Amino acid sequence: MSDAKFIVSHAPYVHDGSSIAARHYQVLLALVPAAAAGVLQWGQPALAVICLAVGSAIAWELGFTRLARQRPSIGNGSAALIGMTLAMLLPATVPWWLVVTGTFLAVIIGKQIFGGIGANPFNPVVVAMAILGLSWPRLMDFDAMLLAYDPGFAMIEPLTAVKAFGAATAEQFGCLDLFFGRQAGAIGAPFGIWLVLGGLYLTVCGVVRWQIPAAFIAGVFVTATAFHMADPARYAGAGFHLLTGYTLIGAFFLATEDSSSPVNFWAMLIYGFVGGLMTVLIRNIGAYPEGVIYAVMIINVINPLVDKIRPRALGKVT
Amino acid sequence: MAPKKELQLGYALAIVLIVVGVLSFAGYSAKIPDPPLRMIYHTNAGKVLFDHQTHLAADRYGLACADCHHHPEGEDNTMACGACHGGPERHEAIAETCNECHDPDFYDLADVSKRSDAFHDQCIGCHRQFDAGPVECSACHVL
Repeated sequence: MSDAKFIVSHAPYVHDGSSIAARHYQVLLALVPAAAAGVLQWGQPALAVICLAVGSAIAWELGFTRLARQRPSIGNGSAALIGMTLAMLLPATVPWWLVVTGTFLAVIIGKQIFGGIGANPFNPVVVAMAILGLSWPRLMDFDAMLLAYDPGFAMIEPLTAVKAFGAATAEQFGCLDLFFGRQAGAIGAPFGIWLVLGGLYLTVCGVVRWQIPAAFIAGVFVTATAFHMADPARYAGAGFHLLTGYTLIGAFFLATEDSSSPVNFWAMLIYGFVGGLMTVLIRNIGAYPEGVIYAVMIINVINPLVDKIRPRALGKVT
Repeated sequence: MAPKKELQLGYALAIVLIVVGVLSFAGYSAKIPDPPLRMIYHTNAGKVLFDHQTHLAADRYGLACADCHHHPEGEDNTMACGACHGGPERHEAIAETCNECHDPDFYDLADVSKRSDAFHDQCIGCHRQFDAGPVECSACHVL
């Protein structure tokens, strides 16, 4: 990337003394426990997906910067983080070409064509997941992709089961089991315990501000509770929605992506809450059992608008 | 970390991870066990996830293979259902009629239903017989 000009966006800014690369590597570090749990549960295929996703994401970024005659930007860790986050959302048995296509979509289509790091209006991983899900739905279907596994718990994807067969199906999934990742799902997304701990680590470090994940979780909780109270036979409760699918990885790692999320206090709360609300709306009355990907895309769209809700400038005369 | 060191870290990560990833994909894959644990059928009425293991396990339904897989004598009793119950749509690219390839004396072609009919008859029939298991469309088919 050319450094001839240093373009500064408008205030406000958050200073924590760290660098972009340090922030990205901290997020990567926060994802490592969930990734390790995924490899332990799903075995060597999960490791293959994680390695190829991170490696190919860096390769795509390097290739693009070479082609565009820009300075290599792979050192800032953005591409590696994109690859790692994408791997956390994929089934362990996806074919290699889908992983490479996914990282291409995320790095090139989701980020670089918008101008690179800091210029992408959507979370690049979410863009890639949306395209992959629409293009190869059977390869993104956990029920179809995990037929080789018998890990000792119910191997039906919980959100799909509840959407198809009603809320009573949720009773076969214990909350603790779901929280510890004992559910059919992606490589890293089911492991709520490690995602929450990773997210809290990032919050304490100042990489993630608490308002977005807290509001996202509150949005899921309030909306799912309202649906459940209206029709308990059809809609599962808030605990189920919080611990299944991409909810926790969405709250801590997808909705909080730097470029596509707001920075003002009330804006972050609104952004996060709408994300949680849309997640449950899509799950309960939409066409898809999982709603986090599209919910995050929607809040990415409203991000510039809600971020206009900012404190009044000191001494401003209207 | 200095930018040069960050760049070197990026190169090293990419090379190591791509090599490990390619080797892992080439050397290891999740093999579907035989007999299968679960089977998924993608149909016009949505997908159906069939729990093969539950039907087979001695502490669950404890079915024998031949209870469901009914093949001619001497045939491999684990052959895929669709090998016979393919129906015209499975073979129409190969031949116009069954008798072009199959010996009509070997079995009565009229008895060989297409796969969806065979599955519906088999599954629903057994569930009704033992008053256990789903019989409604929406209890198996996930749209």
